[in-house]
Amino acid sequence: MLGPDVAWYVAVAAVLFGIGALGVLIRRNTLVVLLSLELMLNAGNLALIALSRHWHNGSGQIFALAVMAVAASEVCVGLGLVVALNRRRLSLDVDTLSELRG
Amino acid sequence: MTLHTTHVDWFGLGPVFVLIGASFVALLCAVLVPRAVRRLASATIAGAGFTAALVLAVWLYVDSANGHTIVSGAFYRDRWTALGQVILCAIGLATTLLGVEHIPGWGRSSDPGRRDDHIAEFFALLLASGAGMAFFVGAANLMVLFLSLEWFSIALYVMCAIDYDPFAASVGGKAADARPEDRDAFGVAGGSLEAGLKYLIVGSFGAGTLLFGSALVYGAAGTVSFDGIARAVASQGLTGDTFLVTGIALIVAGLGFKMSAAPFHMWTPDVYEGAPTTVTAWMSSATKVAALLLAFRLMTTAFPHDEHLWSWAFAIVATVSLAIGNFAALVQRNVKRILAYSSISHAGFMLIGLSAGSALGGRALMYYLVPYSAMAFGSFAIVAARERELGVPVTLENLAGFGWERPFLGVAMWFFMFGFAGLPLGGGFVGKFYVLAAAYRHGWVWLVIVGVLATLVSLYYYLGIVRAMYMRPSAELQVQPGGSVAVSGGAPAKEELLHVAVGAAFVVSLGSLFAVQPLIELARHAARAFPL
Repeated sequence: MLGPDVAWYVAVAAVLFGIGALGVLIRRNTLVVLLSLELMLNAGNLALIALSRHWHNGSGQIFALAVMAVAASEVCVGLGLVVALNRRRLSLDVDTLSELRG
Repeated sequence: MTLHTTHVDWFGLGPVFVLIGASFVALLCAVLVPRAVRRLASATIAGAGFTAALVLAVWLYVDSANGHTIVSGAFYRDRWTALGQVILCAIGLATTLLGVEHIPGWGRSSDPGRRDDHIAEFFALLLASGAGMAFFVGAANLMVLFLSLEWFSIALYVMCAIDYDPFAASVGGKAADARPEDRDAFGVAGGSLEAGLKYLIVGSFGAGTLLFGSALVYGAAGTVSFDGIARAVASQGLTGDTFLVTGIALIVAGLGFKMSAAPFHMWTPDVYEGAPTTVTAWMSSATKVAALLLAFRLMTTAFPHDEHLWSWAFAIVATVSLAIGNFAALVQRNVKRILAYSSISHAGFMLIGLSAGSALGGRALMYYLVPYSAMAFGSFAIVAARERELGVPVTLENLAGFGWERPFLGVAMWFFMFGFAGLPLGGGFVGKFYVLAAAYRHGWVWLVIVGVLATLVSLYYYLGIVRAMYMRPSAELQVQPGGSVAVSGGAPAKEELLHVAVGAAFVVSLGSLFAVQPLIELARHAARAFPL
């Protein structure tokens, strides 16, 4: 096989997933949080495509294609909510979104 | 050239297609039907869609004694799927009844004439999320699992945020300095949007985790289909494979977010409180049904060889859910938050059935879901009625006298609380008994003890709600009725459809006590779908 071993691709995907998860947990700006969520999904995509090549079957690639469509619709709803919140002049800082707390 | 297309069993996918088709028609209502009748027209379509899907699902149950996969092994056509779809469609029907009167209009503060402008979208989303769940319970490979999970989740994110009044924004800074008393409509100012965004962030985090776990499992087994994974694990001795075990852990976490089991529950109280109560009623019952049924199928079909791992994982998640759900509920004053924590603790109970991983556990889980979803739906519907009456969030304080003012809803709430607590008045008691029996049969006496202790703790807050309704004079009621839709003079609004929905929930939760044997028999046939 040309190029690095599949394990390297999965390792990169795992690092990406970790960065994304960390971003969701510690970043405060909603837009950056949405970006980090995309990063998590794309980490899954990278792993799927690499492993698809490893197994010589197409399931993983088709899976990744479908995930891209899902990720797009998810971020669409997310950005819509961000715009709506912004119109109400609520803050985009997730720490101040705390009306719902008991 | 000939084109080979896979054979599609259209009938087997019938309920899903009926629901998504009805969703499209309901969406067309938004543009084609005059505003005055839009609420009625779209609700009728939703009701017809759920009824038709319910009938089809019952038919499929009768017709699918030999469970098998359809559409190139992508979807299970068996009794487990069909029974799950029956429960989901029944909840959807009840939610439709509730939604007719209880989904707040859009832009209600400025122009009453435009209130129903966007009501059809709610019913379209309700049908779409129902279709996603009906697809989800029958998923037969990891790709269908992920796609249908996101299908209903994305619809739910929008539904949570649907109580959004764009015209309120023009009154600059209103949201920030509004007193609790005059927050707009059914709850908190801006709460619905906040709930939608929170659910989106946490839900997508769970979905991302699930996806990465699926990728790792695919990496270990080389296939995404559930039974293919089990075969590959058995033939290649992958039981302890790093990829597989990590993948299972991530999938368990991802599903944990959807069934709101602790420690993946942080979003639950906030989202349940902020979302419109109709949506909360739908989420708390239907999402849990879908997630738990799918989790049981996934674990027993795809990972039977790793049972020693996932049954422990679920037993621990169940224990944590029972502890956190029950103890956190003790200090809450807001009734929606109490019910949210109660739903976390019930996720714990149902996970006990799942962790047993046996046919008995499957039966117990399937049975438990029937009274649980009826009681969860019914109690949130009653909260919706009180909210509409007062126009403020319902707390234990402003529940005072409710039982005397609205006798039917009071008795129903009283009954649901006793049923939740597991007193032998409704199916909740038999459900708890069955899941604990499954744990006992599995040899986990400690888990039985945890369950019994959790039930004892839960009595305090369930009875607290009953006490607030009946044992306090209504003079103690601090809040005067007078929300934006409350009826003048404090007389309760005539809410026939809400009464029908609550009555149906009451009948189901009471009936499941008397009809234990037939229901268990149905669940037994459903659980035969698994190699247990």
